[in-house]
Amino acid sequence: MAKVKKNRVSFVIDMTPLVDITFLLLTFFMFTAKFKTDAESEQKFFIERPMVSPDSSKLPEQDLAIINIAIETDTLTGISDTVYYYSIVNEEDRRSVYSMMENVPEDQGALLKIGNDSTSMKTLGRLIGFTKTANKKTVFAIDADKRLRFKWVEDAMEILRKNWQTVFNYVTMKKGS
Amino acid sequence: MSGGGSLSAPEKAKRGSSSKRKPKKRVSFHLDMTPLVDITFLLLTFFMFTTTMSAPQTMEMSIPPEINKPVDVDEDKLLSLYIRNDDKLFWHKAQELPKPIKLEEVKKLSEKENLKDGMHNKLIIVLKIDENAQYGTVVSVLDELNLAEMLIMEEIAKVPDEDGEPTKRKRKFTIAKMTDKDREKISDEALSGELTTEEGN
Repeated sequence: MAKVKKNRVSFVIDMTPLVDITFLLLTFFMFTAKFKTDAESEQKFFIERPMVSPDSSKLPEQDLAIINIAIETDTLTGISDTVYYYSIVNEEDRRSVYSMMENVPEDQGALLKIGNDSTSMKTLGRLIGFTKTANKKTVFAIDADKRLRFKWVEDAMEILRKNWQTVFNYVTMKKGS
Repeated sequence: MSGGGSLSAPEKAKRGSSSKRKPKKRVSFHLDMTPLVDITFLLLTFFMFTTTMSAPQTMEMSIPPEINKPVDVDEDKLLSLYIRNDDKLFWHKAQELPKPIKLEEVKKLSEKENLKDGMHNKLIIVLKIDENAQYGTVVSVLDELNLAEMLIMEEIAKVPDEDGEPTKRKRKFTIAKMTDKDREKISDEALSGELTTEEGN
């Protein structure tokens, strides 16, 4: 005797639209993703950028030198201090600038800590000068924390001015983002 | 699937063997999409969680080069804007007394003063910043001044120049160091009138 087979309830969901949308989103996120630069991945401090109204001007990805002015808190003493950093995006330019400077260690990464005393300001001036020699097209940017006193930014601007770099950029953030 | 997955062409029905035509067998095959979809979702979630949508933008600045010679300017065309060490803003024209101003009003002020009769492309805005003012405030003020440019540019373009072309906007703006004299001018004492009476003596 043949057993009476129970009718299995089977149903199929059409996954096609789901997969379509997923692929669409995937391609979108893949193409818009921007990888961190060397300097950004070495960066241990956080810069709270000043907010401005939305604008279409973006930081260039090449031929760029950034002066970071950050507030760093000592983990041991808890004392905060302002520190200058300098980074050149183009690897080639970076290497030639480092070779022109004498106190730069061999294994120096993309982000160069400068400090904040008068000798370090001289170093910054020489770095800017050498960067201009290495690549004339370099665009300069000041990436400073918005909580800083303007004095720090003014000093950096003064050094840029002394090196005949009278046009530069402030790195800012879109308001509301 | 009872042998339905064959990829070879279906055999031709033999002629004459049967009057009824046999239905052609469809070539059907199933591709298991599950691993593909798995990986896609994995990548999708990865990119979704790692992207930050807020990319930094820039504000271009140009500062005058070092000049030793002082430049003579017409005082009537000079608008001074001050940022005090407590981030309060003040402004005055020529030799007037400084007046306090709110950040939100800076745009209106720049538009009004730049579009006054005879001031088109002639007004010079000098921003004097105390070294103890916050950098964030400075950028906000610069942003307000930049926003004002839109209307100014538009209004100025309505007036044709000598060649009959719309007049181009020539912005005159500079950042200057705040001197002790400036600091005195915008101090609370000076603004409340105590210093002015002293000067009168």
